[in-house]
Amino acid sequence: MVVSSDLIIQVMIWGLYAGCIYILLATGLNLIFGVMKIVNFAHGELLMLGAYITFTFYAVSGFNPYVLLAASLPILILIGVIIERTCFRPILGTGKLNEIFISIGLIYIIQNAAAMIWSDEWRTIHSPFEHITLKIFGVNLPLDYLIIVITTISILIILFLFMQRTRLGKAMRATSQNRKGAMLMGINVERMDMLAFGIGAGLAGAAGTLWVVSGQVFNPYMGSIPAVKAFAIVIIGGLGSIPGAIIGGLIYGIAENFAILTLGGAWKDAISFIILILVLIVRPTGIFGESAE
Amino acid sequence: MIDMNKTLGIGSKRARLLGVILLLLLAVTLPLIFGMNLYLLTVLVLMVIFIIYASSWNFLTYTGQGSLGHAAFFGLGGYASAIVASASGLSPYITIFIGGGMAALVGLFIGIICVRLKEWFLAMVTFGFAIIIQTLMVSQFADISGGWDGIAAPRLVPSSIPNYQLIEYYSIVLIAVFVILLFYFILKSKIGLAFAAIRENEIEARAAGIDPVKYRLFAFLVSAYFSGVAGALEIHNLGYITPEIFGVDISFWPIIYSISGGLGTLAGPIVGTIFITFIWDGLQSFGLTYLRFVIIGLLLVLIIIFLPKGLISLPDKIKGYLGKRQKKVQ
Repeated sequence: MVVSSDLIIQVMIWGLYAGCIYILLATGLNLIFGVMKIVNFAHGELLMLGAYITFTFYAVSGFNPYVLLAASLPILILIGVIIERTCFRPILGTGKLNEIFISIGLIYIIQNAAAMIWSDEWRTIHSPFEHITLKIFGVNLPLDYLIIVITTISILIILFLFMQRTRLGKAMRATSQNRKGAMLMGINVERMDMLAFGIGAGLAGAAGTLWVVSGQVFNPYMGSIPAVKAFAIVIIGGLGSIPGAIIGGLIYGIAENFAILTLGGAWKDAISFIILILVLIVRPTGIFGESAE
Repeated sequence: MIDMNKTLGIGSKRARLLGVILLLLLAVTLPLIFGMNLYLLTVLVLMVIFIIYASSWNFLTYTGQGSLGHAAFFGLGGYASAIVASASGLSPYITIFIGGGMAALVGLFIGIICVRLKEWFLAMVTFGFAIIIQTLMVSQFADISGGWDGIAAPRLVPSSIPNYQLIEYYSIVLIAVFVILLFYFILKSKIGLAFAAIRENEIEARAAGIDPVKYRLFAFLVSAYFSGVAGALEIHNLGYITPEIFGVDISFWPIIYSISGGLGTLAGPIVGTIFITFIWDGLQSFGLTYLRFVIIGLLLVLIIIFLPKGLISLPDKIKGYLGKRQKKVQ
């Protein structure tokens, strides 16, 4: 096989696009982990719900699906808050395995409830730009990919400004740095938990919407694999580190697409875990994580 | 002091003995009472196989470990046993233990990586291995594994023998009893004490001269071995094996069974498997498909929140609740 520089740039673009989805998921997971010190393994199910809610709006109204993101986001945030309040708060501090187990319960509930509501057949959303491809320096760049990258960057900038400039964002950062200290300073840490989970769910929902608008087919079981990959990215980037999540997400997206090119499509899912295992053998706390315990 | 009752089950000694006798009696007589009811027998066989599988998964939790990818061992045991049995013509009664050995061999390799990792990392890596092994089976090893189509496996007892299903059932029950007795004796021995010490406080265990890595690896090996045996039993019972066996569902079932029964107890996985199987097949007879998954999921969430020690702690909990009410009345 001839590997030309054009092909490499093309794969990089695919990787960048896949990386955006992973970054949104991983950032949400990291935000939740930072504040609550729990891992939500059912994060992929929120991605799936985001996709389906946008799909429903799209089927009803026929608007541009990118615009509908603004409508499905608040619903996802609300779902996130409800999940935090009913499932994760009662088990907070009861052992790390419990959150994994409760996530398994959530995965079963959400996946199959979605299958009952929307049936389990494969669905698609057609982007109004699906036939527009920009040609830059001899490589094909679908317009959808460009919109997704820009949307992801804007979401991350808004999140950054929220965390750095607003009182609420500062309170959230304080909670993730020192929960007891934040409590003593009069911060309602339980409200911060709800907020973090809500934002995390919103980011997952945005990832789901962008994923399906770009032409991916989806069904109620589509969320699990992207979610475990996002979790692997979180581990590689270091638990609780948002810059780590962004860099990890990019590396991941690109590595995955190169693996498909060289090893074949069957390795798409397995390669991510091979990367994860290699990283954990060398550095048991992740690349950017100082200490996970 | 480590309370042995806690590691072996809850309730008085007499109650436990009574429970065991009752369970064995039911296991032996149930197929005889209902005659040759094929549906009941199929459900019972699968249930007993999953009791072995869930107990093996649960064996890991004694050392404070967990796994989200036990389907890797379940499936490897099945594949190895099926391939050896059809290539050599040996009886599946022998090859299931070879299948377990294959699972343990891979388990050793995975274990060496995993025993040093904690909670989430361990969960992810075990989950990943199940996917990696599935990928290998359908790509690199497709020639011997049959790819996505899978391969046929000889039955445990040839169907030419009369009442072969009944013979299969009783031999699987016998293996289950043997496995659980073995776990009982391991946990009662010094090894069990070391497990508890590592689970409760690893640093203190180290100070007392217990090597956590050694014991964790041992638990991983034993768990992988008997998961492999359970997988081999299942595929010789079904008669074929496909890579679907490495799926997420097969990894999650033993977790659901063990949690709903009670983690870290011998009785937990048994009670949990029986309870969930009953609900599962009951819901199926009502014609529910997706809803039964939702109900199982809800049940799991409720048990984790309200009964963190599982169903086997329910009698104690009711007793405690009634005792409190009586005090109030007085």
